Amino acid sequence: MAMSKEEAIEKARLDVARRLDIGESDIKTLSVKDAEFPDMALGAPVSDDMSGQMITPGWRITLEADGQTFEYRANRHQLRLWNYKGGNYLI
Amino acid sequence: MSRNKFVLQVALAVFLVLIAALAGQLRKVQREWRSAVRIMPGSPEPYVVFDPNQVDETRENGAPEVLVKFRPGVSANTINEITARLNDRVEDEIESVPGLAAVDDLDNVEAESIAAEYRALPEVEYAEPSYEISLSHDGGGFKHLHPNDARFSEQWALANDGQNGGKPGADVAALRAWATTTGDDDIIVAVLDSGVDYNHSDLQHNIWVRDENVKQYEDSELGSIEDVHGYNAVDNTGDPMDENGHGTHCAGIVGAEGGNEIGISGVNWKVKIMPLKFMNASGFGTSKSAIEAINYVIDRKRAGVNVRIISASWGTKLRSRALEDVIRKAYEEGILFVAASGNDSLSTDLLPQYPASYNLGNLISVAALNRQDELASFSNYGVKSVHIAAPGANILSTWLGNEYEEHSGTSMATPMVSDIAALVLSKRPTLSVEELRSILLNSVDKLPSLNGKVATGGRINAAKAVGAE
Repeated sequence: MAMSKEEAIEKARLDVARRLDIGESDIKTLSVKDAEFPDMALGAPVSDDMSGQMITPGWRITLEADGQTFEYRANRHQLRLWNYKGGNYLI
Repeated sequence: MSRNKFVLQVALAVFLVLIAALAGQLRKVQREWRSAVRIMPGSPEPYVVFDPNQVDETRENGAPEVLVKFRPGVSANTINEITARLNDRVEDEIESVPGLAAVDDLDNVEAESIAAEYRALPEVEYAEPSYEISLSHDGGGFKHLHPNDARFSEQWALANDGQNGGKPGADVAALRAWATTTGDDDIIVAVLDSGVDYNHSDLQHNIWVRDENVKQYEDSELGSIEDVHGYNAVDNTGDPMDENGHGTHCAGIVGAEGGNEIGISGVNWKVKIMPLKFMNASGFGTSKSAIEAINYVIDRKRAGVNVRIISASWGTKLRSRALEDVIRKAYEEGILFVAASGNDSLSTDLLPQYPASYNLGNLISVAALNRQDELASFSNYGVKSVHIAAPGANILSTWLGNEYEEHSGTSMATPMVSDIAALVLSKRPTLSVEELRSILLNSVDKLPSLNGKVATGGRINAAKAVGAE
């Protein structure tokens, strides 16, 4: 099912809250920007993801909580956490 | 005879000669005009070409004008009597279709009128003007063939005349290639991707359908799979319908039907696309699913399906030995593997992208160009690991829901090479995979922007690859 930008932001905030075991009110949304990602894994492949090599529009969502910065990448189909503790995550 | 009468008769004779000459010229002009506009009603390939400057060379040489299918039981003598009565002659019998003959008109009458005459006869099942592909010439003296597809003018990658700020000639020289071949539906290209919308009106006639003589796919674990059009390795079924759009876009670049008046044209007007689905609705999949799909292709090849090329517009940074092994198996089966070099603006000599960076004799790694003949800003490169470049920015192609969309990526450049490989095979079907790969890599236009960026230093050129120039 297609996901809106607002739904992607909300889903990202919930993910941070879950990871840090904090309330959503403790999370600050630093920026939400339109972006073009290099592939259909939004430049954040997980393990052996093979992704279509097509420039893919989406949103770069930057959140801050507990002194850490989180970059989420999303489009209508998916939400990914990029480069968190050395790895990417499909949410 | 008086002197005045003699002068009058000479003047009359000169006048008649001039009239005759003028009439001859008018007929020639008429012939040329007719040859410039040709539509064959009811033809599966109703190409329309309009170019009043061109000359119909084949008609000048007495080519057949009408194809007539006589009803079963009509004898050769009767056919000859009919054609003689209409002051025509049978130019050729089409042996594979009993009763079908190419009829040459000796009166220089309009082809549609002749066809109508034949259609009115009880002995005739159908008659139609001989479909003719018209050629023109460019400034360099090369022959051209233009398709009538509605949005062809937006396909800068095939014919760049400077539209939207492009550089004229920064294309794969498709028009010149088409003067030699527009493809062959005996050649099968496997589009290994997110599947293909096989019902898209610009693709449906070029989608592979398993011949009834080829047995269903048998998987040792999954059992028998009814693979009518291809294979779905995401759900392990025989339905490779695309839910993303990426695979449908790539398929359109390979072989959207040319000359059907709608949408776009693939580099191959005629070809067979084998849809394979290993990426999901979001556009990613696993190496396991990719391997299963390639295994399917190898199985079908062994079963007699003439699949010659796998087009792989996807990749990852992780090296899979198993994926490499199965692509090597495809090599042993004579299958070319064309892969996207990736979109990270990086050198894959330093940071490889797989499968494009496997060092295999059947593999071609492809970088992307923009409409100015420059390496696209996103494209990976690598003089050791990327072989060739092709247009890959702002490429219009087929999309889900009978739509068309413009997209960019080495994903789009990859099928541009795969389809030119198929075009070469349409002319030279017995080429080995090594020979085919060599021809493609040696058929480039060297570009300054690619010097030190890709191994060949050039953009693929379809016309050179098929020997049209």
